[in-house]
Amino acid sequence: MNSIQRILQLAKRDFTQRLRSKAFVFSMLLIVGLVLIAGPIIAAASGGDEISVIALVGDQPAGSDQAIQQQAGLLNVDIELRHLPDLASAETALSDGDVAMVVNGTSELVFDKEAAPQLAAVVSGGIATAQRQINAAEMGLSASEVGSLLAPVQYTERTLEPANSEKDNARQLAAFVALMLLYISILIFGQFVMMGVMEEKQSRVVEVVLSRVKPTEVLTGKVLGIGLLGLIQVVAVGAALVFTVSTAHLANLDFSGIGLPLLGSLVLWYLLGYAFYSFMYGALGSTISRQEDMQGVAMLPVLMILPGFFLGQMALLEPDATLARIASFIPIWSPMVMATRSTAGDVPVWEVAVAIALIVATTILLVRLGGRIYRGAILQTGKKTKLRTAWRSANH
Amino acid sequence: MLAFESLHKRFDDVTALDGLSFGAQPGRIVGFLGPNGAGKTTAMRCVFGLVTPDSGSVTWNNKAIDEPTRLTFGYMPEERGLYPKMKIGDQITHFARLSGLAAKDARGAAERWLRDLDLGDRLDSKLEELSHGNQQRVQLAAALVHDPVVAVLDEPFAGLDPIGVDTMADVLRHLSAKGTGIVFSSHQLDLVADVCQDVVIIDHGHSVLKGEVTELQRSSPTRYLEVDVDGIPWTKELTGVASSAGNGRHRYVLGRKANIGPILDQAARDGEVTRFSFEPPHLTDLFREAVRR
Repeated sequence: MNSIQRILQLAKRDFTQRLRSKAFVFSMLLIVGLVLIAGPIIAAASGGDEISVIALVGDQPAGSDQAIQQQAGLLNVDIELRHLPDLASAETALSDGDVAMVVNGTSELVFDKEAAPQLAAVVSGGIATAQRQINAAEMGLSASEVGSLLAPVQYTERTLEPANSEKDNARQLAAFVALMLLYISILIFGQFVMMGVMEEKQSRVVEVVLSRVKPTEVLTGKVLGIGLLGLIQVVAVGAALVFTVSTAHLANLDFSGIGLPLLGSLVLWYLLGYAFYSFMYGALGSTISRQEDMQGVAMLPVLMILPGFFLGQMALLEPDATLARIASFIPIWSPMVMATRSTAGDVPVWEVAVAIALIVATTILLVRLGGRIYRGAILQTGKKTKLRTAWRSANH
Repeated sequence: MLAFESLHKRFDDVTALDGLSFGAQPGRIVGFLGPNGAGKTTAMRCVFGLVTPDSGSVTWNNKAIDEPTRLTFGYMPEERGLYPKMKIGDQITHFARLSGLAAKDARGAAERWLRDLDLGDRLDSKLEELSHGNQQRVQLAAALVHDPVVAVLDEPFAGLDPIGVDTMADVLRHLSAKGTGIVFSSHQLDLVADVCQDVVIIDHGHSVLKGEVTELQRSSPTRYLEVDVDGIPWTKELTGVASSAGNGRHRYVLGRKANIGPILDQAARDGEVTRFSFEPPHLTDLFREAVRR
């Protein structure tokens, strides 16, 4: 069994043991479930973007259906038309909530409790147009004459400030969720590594392991196993997110084409950010052997990563601001800031490449640093080991 | 042979090992004895690279111990511990894998060892669900699952009840009979006197006495005489003969070639001699002499 096989065996243990934990599986299902139902909930809350079903009974002028649909398109209302045999069945459907409005012939609009002026405008506008078309045809006008007679006035629109497009809004929202997901995942799974290392030290099993395997292999195996677990969670939540944004009809948001780049960016920056922080967490975990000491040592990575979360929020609004650009190159923050920037806006490829190169290089350094601290501290039981002591006692 | 060659190790201002040398032969059981803090654990950790000596080395068949060789050794650390929430069958399989066994062999070896230690019906139990004694057996299985050529056991008898001690002693004798070299440490000498064939007694980081137990006893210049008269220890002062008392015993300290006939005659004049023993030093005596405590 070579070094890689041993690392994989260690990773497998950490991965399968945690995957069997009900708490982990339950919390993951919960998060995925929340993301999946978030879309419909937001859609329902924002209203207006639902499809309103309009029931038609009695006689309307020929071409009414088409004209009503056209009118709905102009007013940006999603409707569906349904012809029902009589008023009684239409009213039943109305009180059951199956339809939003009943159009009775050309004389009456029936609502359940409240009138819906927008739907009323769509229908009356549409039917009026249909009637005018018939009238115009009876007057002997040709189809093109009817067309120009009834052509709606078309305005172009302009704003003084460049407004966020529906696409930009959608990208900002996606970037915000990505930022949250990355921040939380890196912290949670990083802390899992710290806890795992500490537990092995606390239960003393680590000496049994270390009589067979090198310290760096133990640490790497743990980082790998728990990282894979985190990757599954990120992919699951990310996929749920992509599914939600691409199926939900949200007002003023256009998610088309965002899904896959978002998922790709999530996975990439999760892996880079996790690798960076997990070796730090692992090294810190090796210096303690009691649960009570965990709070203290866990502070360091949190303090390091926290500004990245806020800088990420700044990058959300202005992806090309100088501060955001600088922060997106600094390894302790780049996983969040660069991911946010490249989701919210368009970042040149070279900037992403440089940020990746920087964090990879720093991580390699951190692996050596963390490995050495781990080696020096893992067999020193009792009270918390100072980092300097750990560093020196690994000195052989 | 596993050889500890002139090991030195300092931790800051504490000297843990100060020129320790001894060897362990295949098929023999070495008792590695010494008071607490004598350096036993540090020496054992050196075998597995857990501690790197400042100077000196541990060798196997006159060669430095490389990684493949180390994986053929078994180690039970003094600080017991395994994964509390992992099923013991999976757990021992995991350690067998880390020792280099192929997946299917690992499972087989784990089940065989746990069965041999009477845990065959607990394979799917989590470690924390087992009694203390059974957890100790799992710990032993973790050390031995890959059938090591050398087993290094740090205080294997610590914390065991008398039945546990017997089981452990049986396992060690059985392993030794199969050719495994065994080094185990202890500071409870009365427990291990029957188990080991060779002893190394260390104090302050170096050996103060080592050799075959029977040979050390035979070559000791000291003999102990105990006599019971009318069923109780005979305690008469004898001119020119030192004696030691303790634990309800009264022992006369004599030379190896002492003539005990006159002493027994004298005892017989005081009553009926119901018991007498003339013995070389026990391991405990050798230990006390060696470390002078």
